[in-house]
Amino acid sequence: MTDAHVVGSGIVDFGEKYEWSFDDLLEGAYLDLVESVDHGINPTADIDAIWYGTLDIANEGSSGAAVAHATGLFEKPATQIVNACATGSDAFRNAVQAVKAGDIEVALVIGAEKMLDSTEGLIGGAALERLWRGRGVTMPAFFGMRATRHMEQYDTTREQIAEVSVKNHENGTKYPHAHQQFECSVDDVMESATVSYPLNLYDCCPVTDGACAVLVTNDERSREFTDAPVRVAGYGFSTDSFMRGDDLALTNFPASRQASSMAYERSGYGPDDVDVAEVHDCFSITELITYEDLGFCEQGEAGAFIDEGIPHLDGEKPVNPSGGLLSKGHPIGATGVAQIAEIFEQLRGDAGDVQVPDAEVGLQHNIGIGRNATGAVSCVNVLER
Amino acid sequence: MSGPRYNRTRRQDQRLVAFECQSCDYVSFPDEKRTCKRCGDAPATFEEVQLAERGEIQTFVVQEYLPDDIEVPQPLAIVDLPQADGSGESARVYGLLTETELEELSVGTEVVARFRELFDDGERPINSFKFSVPREVKR
Ligand SMILES: [Zn+2]
Repeated sequence: MTDAHVVGSGIVDFGEKYEWSFDDLLEGAYLDLVESVDHGINPTADIDAIWYGTLDIANEGSSGAAVAHATGLFEKPATQIVNACATGSDAFRNAVQAVKAGDIEVALVIGAEKMLDSTEGLIGGAALERLWRGRGVTMPAFFGMRATRHMEQYDTTREQIAEVSVKNHENGTKYPHAHQQFECSVDDVMESATVSYPLNLYDCCPVTDGACAVLVTNDERSREFTDAPVRVAGYGFSTDSFMRGDDLALTNFPASRQASSMAYERSGYGPDDVDVAEVHDCFSITELITYEDLGFCEQGEAGAFIDEGIPHLDGEKPVNPSGGLLSKGHPIGATGVAQIAEIFEQLRGDAGDVQVPDAEVGLQHNIGIGRNATGAVSCVNVLER
Repeated sequence: MSGPRYNRTRRQDQRLVAFECQSCDYVSFPDEKRTCKRCGDAPATFEEVQLAERGEIQTFVVQEYLPDDIEVPQPLAIVDLPQADGSGESARVYGLLTETELEELSVGTEVVARFRELFDDGERPINSFKFSVPREVKR
């Protein structure tokens, strides 16, 4: 079986893109990708298939054909993937599987979301849609419940949770495509408006529009596009529910443990081998918990992990050098693809002001909440230089 | 949206009737389905069990940002409700809290289920359980 490699990436700056249509976003990310390919690409001839990640919050019509129209890439299979907040990563994973299977030689993975075209954005929408079904559980509440329990069970402090947001906002000021480029202090986070105790406004990612694309191909074709392909070493995907009575799910996300175990096993790498990670930080607490779920530290020790500066840009294991969702933003379908694009840049040494020195192994992680706000999905991809 | 769902679980919502998987002892509330959400038994055999009205908060949040027509602060907890006869596992449920001071909330707080109007769907009230700190342990 061939390996799958990332050989190009394109992105439009994340932000409030009222003036951009959905097609504009897709076209922008796609054109940036086409221009990024080191040795050039003839897209209509080279690209065999398209995987398109979007939750279609803006209600533009659900079909892979949206990409065909926006890019002019007709007469090819184009598939839309929907998998909660892990939509972009799962679109990538599906393309990787097809390339590895030998059925597709060159795949375009593209994710896009217009979060601001609905009246209140995702959080407002989720609250209205799910209040009864989930008995009043909104997104900040769902994640905030882990924070309460983690603080109670492991003496994790509110300040340690806030520190995640401080770190990611600092990184975001150095990342050119981030939506919110400002620094904040632990006090700023603690004093920002309460959204859902114990989480405040600066613990929450902004509502952001955006699009991102990556090109995936096999061993044989990879050198045609670049001298520096990034190999997909492993991937995993899993699901779980808060309500199955597993006490670990009160503080953590067992689905992330399952997905990362699969990805570690497939890749032959473990948590200690990861040089740089882009992980899901829809809320500050989500990233803190993820340190434990991915095995970066022991259960209950995430607070100490960030206190020691390990996940900082200049730390031993930098997490979210791009500023994460907290600073970069979270246009759902684009989020996972953008994380892959950032790891691709990191492993090629192209990450500019947020470059992690000598990064050889990178990990990307997305989590999402499914029906009734009780189920969780988690996707992990491991890439190597 | 809430109407059909409300009717489907009305008996459970009003009487604290839950369903115990005979393979793994998982207790489902308020849903009664044909597959088990923990062990995956399909089809699963469920037996009705009666939940106690008193349970314990496992974790909680206090929601401050909600759509305009919902009163805030709105506390919300995960509550483990044991079976009335003291046997088997508890049911783990989401519960909105009512008549509770925010300072009274912590992991481990005992709460009691009270039948209340949750919301109205524009035409009629949606009733189910909310939880509150029992009066005798209130300070
Ligand atoms: Zn079972």
